[in-house]
Amino acid sequence: MQCSALRKNGFVVLKGRPCKIVEMSTSKTGKHGHAKVHLVGIDIFTGKKYEDICPSTHNMDVPNIKRNDYQLICIQDGYLSLLTETGEVREDLKLPEGELGKEIEGKYNAGEDVQ
Amino acid sequence: MMAAALGPPEVIAQLENAAKVLMAPPSMVNNEQRQHAEHIFLSFRKSKSPFAVCKHILETSKVDYVLFQAATAIMEAVVREWILLEKGSIESLRTFLLTYVLQRPNLQKYVREQILLAVAVIVKRGSLDKSIDCKSIFHEVSQLISSGNPTVQTLACSILTALLSEFSSSSKTSNIGLSMEFHGNCKRVFQEEDLRQIFMLTVEVLQEFSRRENLNAQMSSVFQRYLALANQVLSWNFLPPNLGRHYIAMFESSQNVLLKPTESWRETLLDSRVMELFFTVHRKIREDSDMAQDSLQCLAQLASLHGPIFPDEGSQVDYLAHFIEGLLNTINGIEIEDSEAVGISSIISNLITVFPRNVLTAIPSELFSSFVNCLTHLTCSFGRSAALEEVLDKDDMVYMEAYDKLLESWLTLVQDDKHFHKGFFTQHAVQVFNSYIQCHLAAPDGTRNLTANGVASREEEEISELQEDDRDQFSDQLASVGMLGRIAAEHCIPLLTSLLEERVTRLHGQLQRHQQQLLASPGSSTVDNKMLDDLYEDIHWLILVTGYLLADDTQGETPLIPPEIMEYSIKHSSEVDINTTLQILGSPGEKASSIPGYNRTDSVIRLLSAILRVSEVESRAIRADLTHLLSPQMGKDIVWFLKRWAKTYLLVDEKLYDQISLPFSTAFGADTEGSQWIIGYLLQKVISNLSVWSSEQDLANDTVQLLVTLVERRERANLVIQCENWWNLAKQFASRSPPLNFLSSPVQRTLMKALVLGGFAHMDTETKQQYWTEVLQPLQQRFLRVINQENFQQMCQQEEVKQEITATLEALCGIAEATQIDNVAILFNFLMDFLTNCIGLMEVYKNTPETVNLIIEVFVEVAHKQICYLGESKAMNLYEACLTLLQVYSKNNLGRQRIDVTAEEEQYQDLLLIMELLTNLLSKEFIDFSDTDEVFRGHEPGQAANRSVSAADVVLYGVNLILPLMSQDLLKLVFDMLVLQKHNTEMTTAAGEAFYTLVCLHQAEYSELVETLLSSQQDPVIYQRLADAFNKLTASSTPPTLDRKQKMAFLKSLEEFMANVGGLLCVK
Repeated sequence: MQCSALRKNGFVVLKGRPCKIVEMSTSKTGKHGHAKVHLVGIDIFTGKKYEDICPSTHNMDVPNIKRNDYQLICIQDGYLSLLTETGEVREDLKLPEGELGKEIEGKYNAGEDVQ
Repeated sequence: MMAAALGPPEVIAQLENAAKVLMAPPSMVNNEQRQHAEHIFLSFRKSKSPFAVCKHILETSKVDYVLFQAATAIMEAVVREWILLEKGSIESLRTFLLTYVLQRPNLQKYVREQILLAVAVIVKRGSLDKSIDCKSIFHEVSQLISSGNPTVQTLACSILTALLSEFSSSSKTSNIGLSMEFHGNCKRVFQEEDLRQIFMLTVEVLQEFSRRENLNAQMSSVFQRYLALANQVLSWNFLPPNLGRHYIAMFESSQNVLLKPTESWRETLLDSRVMELFFTVHRKIREDSDMAQDSLQCLAQLASLHGPIFPDEGSQVDYLAHFIEGLLNTINGIEIEDSEAVGISSIISNLITVFPRNVLTAIPSELFSSFVNCLTHLTCSFGRSAALEEVLDKDDMVYMEAYDKLLESWLTLVQDDKHFHKGFFTQHAVQVFNSYIQCHLAAPDGTRNLTANGVASREEEEISELQEDDRDQFSDQLASVGMLGRIAAEHCIPLLTSLLEERVTRLHGQLQRHQQQLLASPGSSTVDNKMLDDLYEDIHWLILVTGYLLADDTQGETPLIPPEIMEYSIKHSSEVDINTTLQILGSPGEKASSIPGYNRTDSVIRLLSAILRVSEVESRAIRADLTHLLSPQMGKDIVWFLKRWAKTYLLVDEKLYDQISLPFSTAFGADTEGSQWIIGYLLQKVISNLSVWSSEQDLANDTVQLLVTLVERRERANLVIQCENWWNLAKQFASRSPPLNFLSSPVQRTLMKALVLGGFAHMDTETKQQYWTEVLQPLQQRFLRVINQENFQQMCQQEEVKQEITATLEALCGIAEATQIDNVAILFNFLMDFLTNCIGLMEVYKNTPETVNLIIEVFVEVAHKQICYLGESKAMNLYEACLTLLQVYSKNNLGRQRIDVTAEEEQYQDLLLIMELLTNLLSKEFIDFSDTDEVFRGHEPGQAANRSVSAADVVLYGVNLILPLMSQDLLKLVFDMLVLQKHNTEMTTAAGEAFYTLVCLHQAEYSELVETLLSSQQDPVIYQRLADAFNKLTASSTPPTLDRKQKMAFLKSLEEFMANVGGLLCVK
């Protein structure tokens, strides 16, 4: 996709990593220069920050992202039991480490619905 | 309390200890100790009749901070206990304080100032009941001045300065717990007599100093203080006698005060020796940049003298003539210092703005000519210095500021065509115009980027997107220069034409050379762009000036061809060959001078065609694959100009003019080949830009703006839709394919707007049907196809689905933006279908804030553009849709926590949008065209005269819905703002509306707040007055309900309430 067509909150590949764009700004060198796009993205898996600057006519790769929502059924041995839309149960996903994991666990223990 | 319990020595010991704690470094004392020490001082200042103890402290303590606190305690206690004190003891207290300061020349400055402030407060409080006479103070001060001792004279100046600050304005006065009414009254009394006394004393001192030959450092410092004092007096914001109480705060906050004294100042200020004195003073000290600021500011204030001080026009003429003479004598023949530039231009600008034209022209004509010559000379010279400042990249751009002021003065001066004969300013205009152009062109024609010694400097700096474009940053300058260009059109239009034509030829040549180079050695990309950049920058400025010269920038109004331009074209039309003119216009690919008879063409059209030639060179370079060498900035300038030009000149409405130039009406009038040709040309340009420059957001944006201009008026749209290209554009956009889908969302929105506007051009029914099928239907079909998919819920987060939804929502915003009075019926019905579906989307995307925001934005736009045209039942539909939206939103967001770490405003974007939505709905209350208009007749029979539901009801209901999402402290906030703080009267209504809603919603809390406020009042008179006022306030709307009539009644009572007690409560 042409760099200028990217949007904030959209996705892009930066330094080989799939990222969510959190910041996008443009600049140019000299008054008569062509626009350059400055991108800041967060790796959707690791949460690491990546930056890149490129001419706005440049073509960028966009990762093919799929998002699924699952209903949490239970937590066992650090693994999640999840209900898919088709009614099947998926048990191969670990409880994430760090804050997110604690939040999920906390909500689960409090009896709240977790998706 | 403390003073009574302890003897003076103990009090002093306790205070000195506390002072030690307060002054100690943070590591030595803990927080608690510090708070305790603070508390000691606070309660000390509140102690009853602390006068004896304070005197004792002042006489014995050696700790400065304790002395300072003692002075403060005296000041506060005097005001607090004023009615209980005997006048004699107040008088002796004041004498004590003055003597105290006099006898201690080595006091710390802050202690001395605080004691003098106490004196000033005593004098001020006394002035109200006339118990203290200022006269005696002035007598003492004049004795101090005549002592000849610089230290004593400085002290005298401090006393006067303290008095002046205390009386001057409520923002500078001390907090002594008195009402605004009191401060206003004191000020009025003071400015009549005492202020003048101070001024006379100051003038005497200045006279004395200006006569001396050599001033030593100490004397010069005294001189400087008195000069600053004079400046303070002359910058006094004279309070008019009958200004309403609640306007005082607003009046006091005004910046840039002009000198408008009361009549009693006549003898003082109209005495020509006063004015002469300030000129003399300035000549004496002008090399001292600090003092020169003050002396020039004094002169600038004197240059703004107006009002009842002048008994008649004659006296005003005399004053002005005298002033201009003094000014010319002062600045002619000297080399102006950097520090003088701004001051001198303020003087000139004040003279030109404040004195009426008939007074200006009544001064001796030779004098007036010298004045205008001087103005011309200064403008050109400041302009050159400003250009140098830019090259050197100085932080402090004094010449730029001075240049701005002078150019603005020119605009004021030349816009008058009654008092000056035609052509009076032409030669001056030519000079200023030439110098502006010269400063903005590269060598050899100009001096751009040359330092003072002629060395060129050039830097490639990084420019962020936040940097304003020159056309906005320098819009004021350009407007003035454009105006000057108009009055000297005979010179300026041909000049711009030849400069542009010559550069077009050079640009063309340069680009060709680059192309040949590239062809010869494809790999070598290192071409020197300096030449090109210089040309681009030249063309950039020439286009900006041409744009401002040929047309005005209007918003919402129909811009007219400037009369000077029209006259100029008409005047020469007999010498003009129309066919050659059309040929020049219609052949942008050829050199103008290659067309036979090119010199007998209309100059204005030739200037336009010079810019079309720039545009053509750009287009050809794009076709030759040289886009990377082009300047997007120049591309922007071209479409910006074309838009401005088209708005004003293309298919003019002849009814708006007395006379139309024949070349204009032949070339761009209705039913001419010329206009059809140019519309085709512009459309082609737009389409090419949107595909070539999709990556340059600003340029793409200017381009779609040009497109909107082409279709927003029916006459032009009729021609646009006859172009094949237009239909292709519409189809292409509807298919959401490259390159148009590469455009940024604001650009896509505006493009949608333009396409919709074009649909209302004149077409036969069949064509129209076909058009909407191309433009709007695909949008609906695609949208329905997506959301009606069986598994939409599951796939809604897929990127391509989200993109489709986003694009649709953006397009809906664009459609709403295209609303005009004659298409609202169709567009409203079309959009309503979507709105219902959008509410469903709110549910689906509740966890995707950016989509939620976009959905709300669609509602915001629809309400913004359409509510004012809707009749009752349509308005109801919209209200219902909006309320459902809010309900869904509120349900989904209750209790949601915002943990986003991004900027605050972004976090609350949704709430802001909702407030905007409610505001837009509310605007129905004051802008409503639906009753007087026939847009919905036929669509909506039987319009009810009295509405059962008002916008306010809806909004209040909406506020109710979202209020739980905000904190309930809002009521307190608004209440506070309205009643207790100085506020801007413009805000009263807005705050009042919010206030009323909040009162309705939280009645109990409101009563509680009123109770608290009342109970804090100790004065029984004030208590009664307040209680009455609060009763009256709600009397008209008891019990408060969300009803429009009641609300209006409440707002009216509120206004009265503010007038009655606002001053009383707004305590300073």
